[in-house]
Amino acid sequence: MILARFLGPRVIVLVAVLLAAAVLVPAATLALPASSPFHIPAYLVPLIGKYVCYALLALALDLVWGYVGILSLGHGAFFALGGYAMGMYLMRQIGSRGVYGNPILPDFMVFLNWKELPWYWTGFGEFWFAAIMVVLVPGLLAFVFGFFAFRSRVTGVYLSIITQAMTYALLLAFFRNDMGFGGNNGLTDFKDILGFPIQAETTRAGLFAASCVALALGVLVVGAITRSKLGKLMVAVRDAESRTRFIGWRPEYVKLFAFTVSAVMAGIAGALYVPQVGIINPGEFAPVNSIEIVIWAAVGGRGTLLGPVIGALLVNYGKSVFTGLAPEYWLFVLGGLFVLVTLFLPRGIVGTIDHGWSALRERRRAARAEKGESMGEGGVSSQAAE
Amino acid sequence: MMTMDQGAAPQTEGGEFVVSPHPYATQLRTERLAREAALGSRRETLLYLNGVNKTFDGFKAINNLSLVLERGEMRAIIGPNGAGKTTMMDIITGKTRPDAGEVYFRGEVDLTKHDEPAIASMGIGRKFQKPTVFESHTVEDNLALSLSGSRSVLTALLHKKSAADAGKIDEILATTRLTDKRKRLASGLSHGQKQWLEIGMLLAQDPELLLVDEPVAGMTDAETEETARLLRDIAQKHSVIVVEHDMHFVRELGVKVTCLHEGSVLSEGSIDHVSRDPRVIEVYLGR
Amino acid sequence: MRCMLKRLSLLWLLILAGLAAAPVWAAEGDAAAIVQSFGGKQGYDETETHIKEAAATGDPAVAPALRALRDGNLYWRKSDEAVFIATESGDTLKLADPMTGADAGTAPKDDFTKVRVKNSIRVAVTAALGSLTLRAENAVQRLRAADTLFSEADPEMIEPLDGAIAAETDATVKARMEEARAAAVLESDRPAEEKAAAAKVLEQRGDREALNKLATFASSTKDEAARGAAERAIAAIESNIAFWGQAQNVWYGLSLGSVLLLAAIGLAITFGVMGVINMAHGEMVMLGAYTTFVVQEQIRQSAPFLFEWSLAIAIPLAFLVSAAVGLVLERSLIRFLYGRPLETLLATFGVSLVLQQAVRSIFGPTNRQVGNPDWMSGAFDVGMMSVTWNRLWIIVFALLVFAALLLVLNKTPLGLQMRAVTQNRKMASAMGIRTPWIDAMTFALGSGIAGMAGVALSQIDNVSPNLGQGYIIDSFMVVVFGGVGNLWGTLVGAMTLGILNKLLEPFAGAVLGKIVVLVLIILFIQKRPRGLFAQKGRFVDA
Repeated sequence: MILARFLGPRVIVLVAVLLAAAVLVPAATLALPASSPFHIPAYLVPLIGKYVCYALLALALDLVWGYVGILSLGHGAFFALGGYAMGMYLMRQIGSRGVYGNPILPDFMVFLNWKELPWYWTGFGEFWFAAIMVVLVPGLLAFVFGFFAFRSRVTGVYLSIITQAMTYALLLAFFRNDMGFGGNNGLTDFKDILGFPIQAETTRAGLFAASCVALALGVLVVGAITRSKLGKLMVAVRDAESRTRFIGWRPEYVKLFAFTVSAVMAGIAGALYVPQVGIINPGEFAPVNSIEIVIWAAVGGRGTLLGPVIGALLVNYGKSVFTGLAPEYWLFVLGGLFVLVTLFLPRGIVGTIDHGWSALRERRRAARAEKGESMGEGGVSSQAAE
Repeated sequence: MMTMDQGAAPQTEGGEFVVSPHPYATQLRTERLAREAALGSRRETLLYLNGVNKTFDGFKAINNLSLVLERGEMRAIIGPNGAGKTTMMDIITGKTRPDAGEVYFRGEVDLTKHDEPAIASMGIGRKFQKPTVFESHTVEDNLALSLSGSRSVLTALLHKKSAADAGKIDEILATTRLTDKRKRLASGLSHGQKQWLEIGMLLAQDPELLLVDEPVAGMTDAETEETARLLRDIAQKHSVIVVEHDMHFVRELGVKVTCLHEGSVLSEGSIDHVSRDPRVIEVYLGR
Repeated sequence: MRCMLKRLSLLWLLILAGLAAAPVWAAEGDAAAIVQSFGGKQGYDETETHIKEAAATGDPAVAPALRALRDGNLYWRKSDEAVFIATESGDTLKLADPMTGADAGTAPKDDFTKVRVKNSIRVAVTAALGSLTLRAENAVQRLRAADTLFSEADPEMIEPLDGAIAAETDATVKARMEEARAAAVLESDRPAEEKAAAAKVLEQRGDREALNKLATFASSTKDEAARGAAERAIAAIESNIAFWGQAQNVWYGLSLGSVLLLAAIGLAITFGVMGVINMAHGEMVMLGAYTTFVVQEQIRQSAPFLFEWSLAIAIPLAFLVSAAVGLVLERSLIRFLYGRPLETLLATFGVSLVLQQAVRSIFGPTNRQVGNPDWMSGAFDVGMMSVTWNRLWIIVFALLVFAALLLVLNKTPLGLQMRAVTQNRKMASAMGIRTPWIDAMTFALGSGIAGMAGVALSQIDNVSPNLGQGYIIDSFMVVVFGGVGNLWGTLVGAMTLGILNKLLEPFAGAVLGKIVVLVLIILFIQKRPRGLFAQKGRFVDA
């Protein structure tokens, strides 16, 4: 298997697990009787689906933070933009089933006494158009924003702060009613997607499967990028940006590529997230949301493929459990997590295990070399690989 | 250094030929001639600095500096701390823009109009005082990233290792004596090995001009000697500027020496000439 | 609380005015007879005639009766049609003499009839009162009369006004009377020249009310010359109003700028000078605001007389509280993360979440009420803009803090050591400066200043656990815009952003204005990545 050699065993396993989940979870909820020990209650499916979308989002952030060293505090904005694009399609699908029964205008526009659809809503009646926008809008924003930011060599915390300012500005903008995105309440009350009722168990199972497939594809894409020469260049830019410049590379383009690809992935995650939770509102642009993504990646281990996926699943599972038990203490836990991970687990869970593993191998090899044995295949993987 | 006689040529030729050349060809030719006329004395040089000035917050780091490097030449630059050696390198490689003065590469490229990647792609490589290599990559990957070739992001994404690349990397590994460290992470190298890896990265770039900043700082005597040999080897095929404090090492290189002081040239010539120059002695020992 | 204080003081003013308005007038006779004529059954027309007669006497003694009439407190006895001012209490009336105000005992309500009033009567009374009080002894009352007449603008009042103007000695009151006369002239059928002169007078007044009068006149008059004069006056007033509008915006901008300065100046120390990015900075501000709240609570409970001094007490305490928290934060967390700015950012963000939740758990999630001392309340006018005391004091306070900080940095040993450490840590250490201690002190100083900012913000913003979050992004923008490591840059940056925000608001609205500013900053960083007042030098990493 050339593919397997190219991507490494871990990626193959992860992708296989995700694809299996895409098939088995829907089967377990739809086909198995409620009495079966393997039955998954229907209410859990969109919840896990939500986690899978978060995992894709964390993976997207990891591509820029873990591999290129750009700490984006604005990835929630790309996620939300993708979500809004999907939400606009879902709004148009409601048709005359809204409270006001207007066949063209969504309820909130009728409420605001608008007479016709704003120009930027045209086309969202079609799924293919919305799907293109899900990719295009976050990608374009990231491209333009990144072009200016990276060209003027805004780096480090400065970049982090202006990405935060970007999502903050969008937050303020989307809160406005006259922006035409439903203001404070956002977009909700969706009825169906591609003709399937959105609340139906089968639809939800389908959305879950789509999320798993999207995450699997995301893992493959990020895996392929990071394994390529470009991926090595990304890590080089992360570790010694000015050096890459002196050997002729243009780090701004490397960053721009990663940032744009990452934003597109985040947008797709948002688009899959919205039909599963049934609402998108400006709150998704809140700077705090974007920072939470960072902690998912940090807990799992940035600069690894597996880390952000595991981190997103773990932290969000923890959040669900905690907010159920003692909601007022969740912020203490989250805040503590930020502090503890940066102080004691800077490599994250996966990174720490990897590091320990490679250190062990290094020691063994050194011991063997001392004994005068010939070295086997030297397989020191960089921390960034895989 | 250069005689200029092309200036008169167009008239005679224009008068003798009856068939007029294509207007565009004429235009190109006039442009070329004008360019060459403007080149003047720097036409044959590889690196040409004239009247360069750079001030940082009132501190004159470079003060009316003029320096000429011939093609194929190796030059050592010495000077006390703050003499402007590193700033000069910064100016040549595009990291710093001079306030005034001319900086030309190959006699015609105005380096002050280009940035670091552009200048690096033109064929000027630089080794830093503090060795900077990509610590989380293997020695081999460090060299692979430095290999000359396309610097486009998309090519890098779709890049496949070629046999030619592999051969070149093998060669450089051998030159820099890092063959058995090929798969090691750069972070695991000793200080001297990092210096050599960085020189190896320079070689992989295959530049016309190498700027080498204090290559033997922190090296053992044996390593120093080895480095001198390496640099002399490199100088066979490339032009080199070496900045160094270590007079012993400079003597070992056996090349023309320029001594900088307070941002301008204090003395220039053979190592013996420079080290006997009373002004140099005063700067180094006096005060 | 603030509201109550205001109401109380208003009441107090009214009482004072009432006392002044109740001098006992000796004049009887004519005036008394006219007041008595309100007695007995009569139609509204008749009542209105009597009001006009009363006004025509020009005797201020009829004013209390007229006022009572307007307020529905004028009664006549069924038995003899004698008129009284009376106040109801249950089934009885408390009677007073309509001229002297002297107590006339109580009587059952059934024996009396109220003089009927309707709106037109009230208007007539107000106008009559206006002309009567034009001659009042008290200047405040005369001023009020002039203002009433200005808004009534009754041509019949021109003559009484002429008389009053001739007799008036107070320049301010005289000017108001002339304005009232001008307004009346515009309504009258006097010749065009006089109306043009009146328009000139209103132009001098130059406010919105004058503008309204002129606009009404200009749209209704048929006289070309007079309309021309009115339109010129309108244009002049409009440009005047626009000027003051801009001045007001600049003032709001300065005020916002000073708030930003207060919030950002501590950040300029920790981020600008030390290079530590502290996302919990906003929470230091929030702690300062809560300290103010606690101080005021303590004062209310145990020493209410100190309330006026509550802020003066809170300022040093807030400094100490935030500085202490900052010190603990630096020693226990940040010092392990020096040189790793992104990690510092994340860890301090975690701290900000914890601090927010801690405050939420202790003080509750809702807004806490922090009172304004009297000297922080109210407003005064400069030209046509209104200046509130709390904003003014905050600007003064921000500048004082700024000056004090400059002094600390440039004139004290601590400042010298701080600058030494930031310029060359190793060298400073070699010179015997205890760099870890300086780091801790610098961070504590920056945090403490944030605490003081919290005291100021508690006066103009809601004190809630989220207080700090609202300022953190703006503060970073100020520091980034102004240039890192330069306090003057922070000052200029804060004021520029504040004014820019407020000047953009009228065109773009508050939210869009803010977005425009953010975009402008992002574009600005393109041009000057190191801010307005950038540090330069070969050691600055490109």
